[in-house]
Amino acid sequence: MTVTTTAIAGAEELEDLRLSVRSLLADKSDESRVREVMESDLGYDASVWRQLADQVGVQSLAVPEHHGGAGFGQVELGVALRELGRALVPGPFFSSVVLGAGALLAAQDESAMAAHLPGIAAGTTLATLAVIETDGQWRTHGFTTRAREDGEASWTLDGEKSLVLDAVGADLYVVAADTPHGPGLFLVESGAAGLEVTGLRALDPTRRVGRLTLTGTPAAALGRPGNGTAALEHLLDRATAALAAEQVGAARACLEMSVAYARQRVQFGRPIGSFQAVKHMCADMFTRLEVAEAAATEAARAVDGLPDAPPAGEAAAVAHAVCSEAFMFIAQQTIQVHGGIGFTWEHPAHLYFRRAKVSQLMFGGPAVYYERLLERWGV
Amino acid sequence: MTASAPATPATPASPTASSSPTASSSSIEAFVEEASAFLDEHATRRPTGTARVVWGEGEDRISYFGDEPPEVDKAKVDAARAWQRTRHEHGFGWITGPTEYGGRALSPLHDLVYDQLEAGYDVPDTGVISLIGLGMIGPTILAHAREEIKQRYLPAMFRGDAIACQLFSEPGAGSDLANVATRAVRDGEEWVLNGQKVWTSVAHHAELGMAVCRSDPSQPKHRGITAFLVDMSLPGVEVRPLRQMTGGAEFNEVFLTDVRVPDDHRLGEVDDGWRVTMTTLMSERASVGGEGAGPVERAVSRSYLTAMLEAMGLSRDAAARRRLAEVLADLTATGYLNQQSLRTLLDGRAPGPEASASKLMFSHNLAAASHLAAEMVGPRMIAETGDWGTFSWNELLLGTPALRILGGTEEIMKNIIGERVLGLPKEPGTDTKAPFRAPTGEQS
Ligand SMILES: Cc1cc2nc3c(=O)[nH]c(=O)nc-3n(C[C@H](O)[C@H](O)[C@H](O)COP(=O)(O)OP(=O)(O)OC[C@H]3O[C@@H](n4cnc5c(N)ncnc54)[C@H](O)[C@@H]3O)c2cc1C
Repeated sequence: MTVTTTAIAGAEELEDLRLSVRSLLADKSDESRVREVMESDLGYDASVWRQLADQVGVQSLAVPEHHGGAGFGQVELGVALRELGRALVPGPFFSSVVLGAGALLAAQDESAMAAHLPGIAAGTTLATLAVIETDGQWRTHGFTTRAREDGEASWTLDGEKSLVLDAVGADLYVVAADTPHGPGLFLVESGAAGLEVTGLRALDPTRRVGRLTLTGTPAAALGRPGNGTAALEHLLDRATAALAAEQVGAARACLEMSVAYARQRVQFGRPIGSFQAVKHMCADMFTRLEVAEAAATEAARAVDGLPDAPPAGEAAAVAHAVCSEAFMFIAQQTIQVHGGIGFTWEHPAHLYFRRAKVSQLMFGGPAVYYERLLERWGV
Repeated sequence: MTASAPATPATPASPTASSSPTASSSSIEAFVEEASAFLDEHATRRPTGTARVVWGEGEDRISYFGDEPPEVDKAKVDAARAWQRTRHEHGFGWITGPTEYGGRALSPLHDLVYDQLEAGYDVPDTGVISLIGLGMIGPTILAHAREEIKQRYLPAMFRGDAIACQLFSEPGAGSDLANVATRAVRDGEEWVLNGQKVWTSVAHHAELGMAVCRSDPSQPKHRGITAFLVDMSLPGVEVRPLRQMTGGAEFNEVFLTDVRVPDDHRLGEVDDGWRVTMTTLMSERASVGGEGAGPVERAVSRSYLTAMLEAMGLSRDAAARRRLAEVLADLTATGYLNQQSLRTLLDGRAPGPEASASKLMFSHNLAAASHLAAEMVGPRMIAETGDWGTFSWNELLLGTPALRILGGTEEIMKNIIGERVLGLPKEPGTDTKAPFRAPTGEQS
């Protein structure tokens, strides 16, 4: 199951895209603004969200043209995600554009795509994905949430979904549940009967998380019930490839911050960056980042099905492991290079540290991603 | 340094021009046809599917550094020379070289395509000729030697007649190469060299050496250096093998005693040898990290290591699986990095600083894979029990420490990344401005 990309951007177009996202974010979503909105009720800046959609069209990049998108792929989306990661922009981008749209695409349900992708692409519909349950494990089958068929194409869901990104405020939930035919994906609209949505206190204030309780909640099947595992596995490739781009974008910001500080901070009469212990820390960060960057790039190319790319399942799993490890390592070293100031609330280093840990764990964490990598190779 | 330096072992791209992104021109196709015809005629094709490892099948020796007896070593070098000669006679000896020195003047893409094609055949390993001589000294001669010298040596080197070695390191000048003390004193149209070089790979096979010498000790250390090509058969050149920790002896001490080198063998200007040396070192760093198809690449691969997991009965062992996955993730991602550098190169763009990251990852990956293999093998690593694919890992394992040292140690690579790539300040040097003084004892 490959999602074909109709448009491919050249190097110049990609650079233009990068610059326009970067300048918009530098202008409208600098660190002080991020801190302001991450503590607000909504949790993000609705006007930045609108401008990303209207001025750059970031939400629509990887949505097919006939569903209201720009028809690009993960390579182009990855350029935007690197910038969003770099600036730690809060908001439902990953949840709606990567997971929500990704689930619709992975399920290959034409009518659901026609109904919802244009809204997601325009930034007017906020979708998210609800897979994890109360035990906190990421899985693609064996859900305790049950779907009961009520009649012709009409279902009801019962169960609890936890650790749902941007649950509060979403318009549309893609919910994984077990059916008599096997695992399936279902669409639940906000305000549906028996749906309760609660926000949870989150490790990363720029990435909101919530919980859903479903009690006899009406839902529509997304794709064929019983096909949920395959759709989720496919979605996982897209989602981890996208996450990898965000991770390397954020990790690069950490490296740049560390190098700038190491050049300017003076101790013992010389810049700390001239001490080898510090210089070598930076060189190690650079090396891990170069490898992670290569993995993220290859994963995007693979998911887009470029002819000389490795298999998507392999490249996405490699990127998820390598980029998760690299970002976590780099975020830790960033604090170390900064010393005491790096441990303060006022310094951005902890926000990257938090993002790194959340990114590393949101699809299961190291034990899961290393095992998944072996599985992708049939080991 | 006697083997190629792969960073992504074993999943070789299919050996066709079509696997290269820009291989669309018909001249490439004609070249592929010509090269395939040549290889079919002069070499045996490897059975297809050899990338897939079947446990217990085939050669199980895995070594980065050989430890064969001298006769076997010599026979291998002879085979390498013979194969290089055959390549050269058919126009594949120096694919990118200028025609006036026996090259074909084709693009790096042609070179790459040829390497990929040749990887599908059983041919002698020519690393002893190519890694240092053709890969590093060749480009230096091309850039800095006089015309007659280029004509005299370049064709011979690329024909396999002249193996070249790198007479750089000395007992007092390792990482700090600019500290060389080997003296070069001018005497009319000749220079007289006196000193000691050390760790000189392939010197015992070499016809030619590139020596970095101190020509003016009154100048700061980077300034008073001059580089020469030295005919290794000259009187006063004495090569003594050094046995390395793997047991073999592939590097040497080279003593230079009143060696008289004609001035026309000088590379670059008098006292400007540091710049010449940089040409060589840059080629070295660029060449580390390519792909090969030898036994190391075959063993340090997903196919081999997963076959090993199964053969050692560890398929269900969570700890072994986790370590294997960690090693393979890095190995595969480093492979992606190299592929991307290659694409950059083939697109005609200059590769970025990723090559230095690749070198660090290469030695890291080989060491990690060797230690993982040792862990999977367990106690059978400690002695030859005759079981396939077990004790044979000791040669690679013992070779891995060298990879963190040769061609610039890990620490020096990190200094380079920190200073040249990231722009961090240099350490305050205490000896870069003062005149060089020959070391008087242990310390200078
Ligand atoms: C297998 C092999 C083949 C070789 N082949 C050749 C060859 O063909 N020709 C040739 O000329 N040389 C060759 N060498 C030599 C090689 O280039 C040197 O060994 C290397 O540059 C290190 O020098 P050294 O051994 O003197 O170690 P040193 O420079 O004394 O280093 C010892 C330790 O100190 C560290 N160190 C030194 N300076 C610094 C610094 N500024 N900052 C931080 N750490 C530092 C090093 O990283 C290392 O850990 C070879 C070496 C090996 C192992």
